Amino acid sequence: MKNGRILTGIYGLDDLMDGGFRKNTINSIYGGPGVGKTTFALQYSLFGLDRGEKVLYVSFEMSEQQIIRDCTDIGWGIIKDYIEEGDLKILHIFGEDLEFPSLDITEIIKKSISGNNPRIVIDPFTYPTFYSDKEKRKSISTIFQDLRTIGTTIVVLEELADNLTSTNFGGSGEIQSNKAISMPLYLSDTVLFLQNLGFGEMYDRTIRIMKHRGSIHGEGIYPYSIETGLGIVLRASKKQKDRVMPKAKFDERFVQAIEKTRSMGQQGEKLAARIEVLRKNWVHDDDPQQILEMVIKQEKKSK
Amino acid sequence: MIIKLEDTLDQLYEIEGIEACILYRIDGVPIALRAPSYREDLLETMFWLEKHIRRVLGEMNREGLKETIFYFKNSRILIAPSSNSTVLVTIAKAEANQQLISLEALRAIRIVEACVA
Repeated sequence: MKNGRILTGIYGLDDLMDGGFRKNTINSIYGGPGVGKTTFALQYSLFGLDRGEKVLYVSFEMSEQQIIRDCTDIGWGIIKDYIEEGDLKILHIFGEDLEFPSLDITEIIKKSISGNNPRIVIDPFTYPTFYSDKEKRKSISTIFQDLRTIGTTIVVLEELADNLTSTNFGGSGEIQSNKAISMPLYLSDTVLFLQNLGFGEMYDRTIRIMKHRGSIHGEGIYPYSIETGLGIVLRASKKQKDRVMPKAKFDERFVQAIEKTRSMGQQGEKLAARIEVLRKNWVHDDDPQQILEMVIKQEKKSK
Repeated sequence: MIIKLEDTLDQLYEIEGIEACILYRIDGVPIALRAPSYREDLLETMFWLEKHIRRVLGEMNREGLKETIFYFKNSRILIAPSSNSTVLVTIAKAEANQQLISLEALRAIRIVEACVA
């Protein structure tokens, strides 16, 4: 596993996400009703619990009893033991009861969990009822900043019902322009978009990695299913997985380019370091020659 | 199933005269693509397809068409639904053997349907 990564626990997903979520980040799970957002969040929690990690599940909708019942039905009855042992804490609160959400949420979370980098889930992040438009960005940004200092968080975001009409059903996988939805998405480190067209075919249920800061990630759409006992299982093809694997076949080209840039002096050294990073992360099957030549030419100009 | 689907697209793409084949979801999201690394004219066609495929499919459904063909410059674009939620697009050179390409596309559509449905 790559350093500083938190495995998502979703079967088949980490290979497409450079090893998983980055530690101490905010990761949004976005989608319409019935796509498996809560299943995703519970699977993420369970994966950590199975490995001795602490989990805090902040639920703005379901009570602890409802969560236990849903988990038991999907074959995760063990979650009850984790609650009894104190490894999993479920908080059922209402957004409307919070006087100052940006302060209250983080205070509640800080008081409720301890330990090194716990897994935190907020399901759902009921932002529209929390804030006025004026303070929304600042409030969400404050909450996210504080959460980053506590642990690695999953934030569940609901796609508005208006976006689910037949005429704009997910529109090319694009997120519809709506301030209430887009704000937390812009501020998140990772955004995963879950869709379900509803025809019951292989590509109806899909995950798309819209954003994954500081990481190589797959850019396709990946079919998934929700299996009793396992949860969400992704079925990316070998070719799709290969596309996010760094390729060593053009190493010689990079070495030549690095040698060329070093002759450019101090600025060349800095560029050489960046080209070295590019070499390690080159995932394309295409020859990088054209790009390298262009970059060196440009850097020479700015010198 | 995914391996079979990928193989089917690979085989279709290998046919002489085919420049690209793309499996789209009906909302215009590309599922799988076989195309040369960079060709500006193909890219333009693909942008057009992503934008208009839903409308084209709507019209095809209304008219009861099983396939439809567009000609763009020197390309012939065959659009044919492959299941309830997918559509296969084959882009070929205008001078290629169109009968062969239509038959092979039809064969691919049957396999895609079996894989995804």
